[in-house]
Amino acid sequence: MLKIDQLHAAIEGKEILKGFSLEVKPGEVHAIMGPNGSGKSTLASVLAGKEDYEVTSGSVSFNGKDLLEMEPDQRAGEGLFLAFQYPVEIPGVSMVNFLRTAVNAVREYRGQEPLSAGAFLKLMKEKKHMVDLDSDLTKRSVNEGFSGGEKKRNEIFQMAMLDPKLVILDETDSGLDIDALRIVADAVNKLRNEERSFIVITHYQRLLDYIVPDHVHVLHQGKIVKSGGKELALELEEKGYDWLKEGALGV
Amino acid sequence: MAIQTNTGTDIKEAFIRAFAPEAPNGQPIAPAVKESAAAALQALQFPHKKNEAWKYTPVQPLVSKAYIPAEATEPEDISPFLIPELEADVLVYINGKFSSAHSQIQHNKQLCIESLRQLSSQGKAVVEAHFGKLLNKDDIFAALNTAYAKDGTLVYVPKGTVAAAPIHIIQLTLPGQAACSLQHRNLFVVEPLAEAKVVESFYSLSTVPSLRNAGTEIFVGENAGLEYVKLQLEQHTASQIDHTEVSQARHSRFSIFTITLNGDTVRNDLQIHLDGTETETHLMGIYLLSGKQHVDNYTQILHKQPHCYSNELYKGIVADQATAAFSGKIHVFQQAQKTNAFQSNRNILLSKSANAYTRPQLEIYADDVKCSHGATTGKLEEDAMFYLRSRGIPEKQARKMLIHAFAGEVVEQISLEAVRTYLESLIASRYE
Repeated sequence: MLKIDQLHAAIEGKEILKGFSLEVKPGEVHAIMGPNGSGKSTLASVLAGKEDYEVTSGSVSFNGKDLLEMEPDQRAGEGLFLAFQYPVEIPGVSMVNFLRTAVNAVREYRGQEPLSAGAFLKLMKEKKHMVDLDSDLTKRSVNEGFSGGEKKRNEIFQMAMLDPKLVILDETDSGLDIDALRIVADAVNKLRNEERSFIVITHYQRLLDYIVPDHVHVLHQGKIVKSGGKELALELEEKGYDWLKEGALGV
Repeated sequence: MAIQTNTGTDIKEAFIRAFAPEAPNGQPIAPAVKESAAAALQALQFPHKKNEAWKYTPVQPLVSKAYIPAEATEPEDISPFLIPELEADVLVYINGKFSSAHSQIQHNKQLCIESLRQLSSQGKAVVEAHFGKLLNKDDIFAALNTAYAKDGTLVYVPKGTVAAAPIHIIQLTLPGQAACSLQHRNLFVVEPLAEAKVVESFYSLSTVPSLRNAGTEIFVGENAGLEYVKLQLEQHTASQIDHTEVSQARHSRFSIFTITLNGDTVRNDLQIHLDGTETETHLMGIYLLSGKQHVDNYTQILHKQPHCYSNELYKGIVADQATAAFSGKIHVFQQAQKTNAFQSNRNILLSKSANAYTRPQLEIYADDVKCSHGATTGKLEEDAMFYLRSRGIPEKQARKMLIHAFAGEVVEQISLEAVRTYLESLIASRYE
């Protein structure tokens, strides 16, 4: 489904990703862990198509297409979804208007008919329930005045609405209390299936108790320095990253 | 067509002549006031660049053009200038002159809505009592307007009367042979406990430059309310210097929306006197500029009495080489305790050569007040753009959503739904 090969990317001339490679098959959950500044969020931004980042070499194919050639909205149409680490507040754009526009844009891209107002509201009600999002929030402007936890749950809500094939969760667990974390994880687990894949970027092992990954990768200085099963996450929690850093430097 | 310019010491004389082909006396409205304004004009000078109030707008290029008074002509069809779905009494002015053929005043039987050239005896009495009492006498353009403006609209809302329908004034500039000068003068008098809504829209079909020198005086009586929406939608050849001055009696409510979507050089001077206690005032503005447009909103609100509330919000999107200037003066007099005065000016620059100047001026002489001001100038939020696009929304649509949202904060406060819808569609089509 996703194949990243020797990806190099820079921001403002500074190289952050230095030969990152990863293959994700349908239905798999990959966790990417790593210390601050290792390139985790850069990876998420590059995959979603943020313009500030310049890809200097390497390739990314998504369902057999060149992902790096696509505009951000095309990537979403193809089925990529990024849950932002810092969801953006957009005053004056109502949640309902935003979601309806997004859902129908994605449907149009996928050659589906736009949803009728009734079908859209029904879908929204159903998915809102899934992340336990307060009804009032969908009447407000996008993320405006939302608490940290509400913003993160709103990301998961949008994910559920847009029916993606590949989801990147960029530190979705940061700043969440245990109740909110459970809600987010439950929603993700409900959406897990044989077709849909996840890349879970996180700083903390705790999330992986709730979203159990198939693979865990450690990112350091812009590339994966160690991969393993879910037990690798526990090891990292115990020992921290320092021993890996030394190991990586020694390679 | 080459546009003639005047030079040397005769600029002022030539300029006045272009706006004042007739002597001020012998006119039907307030002859004494007009004559005294004409006399005052002799001593007044064009504002210099060093004049703080005109810091951002060069006067010389505007006033040195050789204008001739616009001739009165008649268009066949004014329907393109009507606002869809707006049930209103409509007054049409063509090149500054009232067109009774195109106007239709049928809803507001209890009001006195008249052209200044065709005043009834009641209208005459209102004009005699109010004309020239308010408009800044020390300003050369305002004095020129007072002395020589020949036509315009009187709206008189008698005590306790709520207008049955809004009043829509259409100011239309038609093509002439050379750069043309126009003037009009409005007088709105809303008596105690009365209410009305006025929409004034400006259009120009002219491809040669024009300069409109506009003057409006507004009196809002005790516990009365007025909403005034000004839609400046003229061609890029049309310049305008506008003076609007308002007096609010106690417990009155006044909202003004100054919307500038087109035009060449536009200068809006707005001054509001809070002459009574517990008044409420909203000063709202939107400007969407492109090309080499230059728009200068110069606003002053004078808190003279306690317990008054004013809220000012001007928002602009500036593209290409256009320039926007905003000055907002809040003057709180010593006795105006418990004043609440808020001001905000926000600009989005869409190009590197676009300019926005913003200048808040707070002069506060009372000690128990709440005043705030804020100004921001930035780009259309890239983070917001990326967020929308990452959800599958194409770039053009995302940009439109953000611009709609930005302007929406002002637009949604206009109470007339038809005007809101009209304005939203104008703004949307601007960024197709």
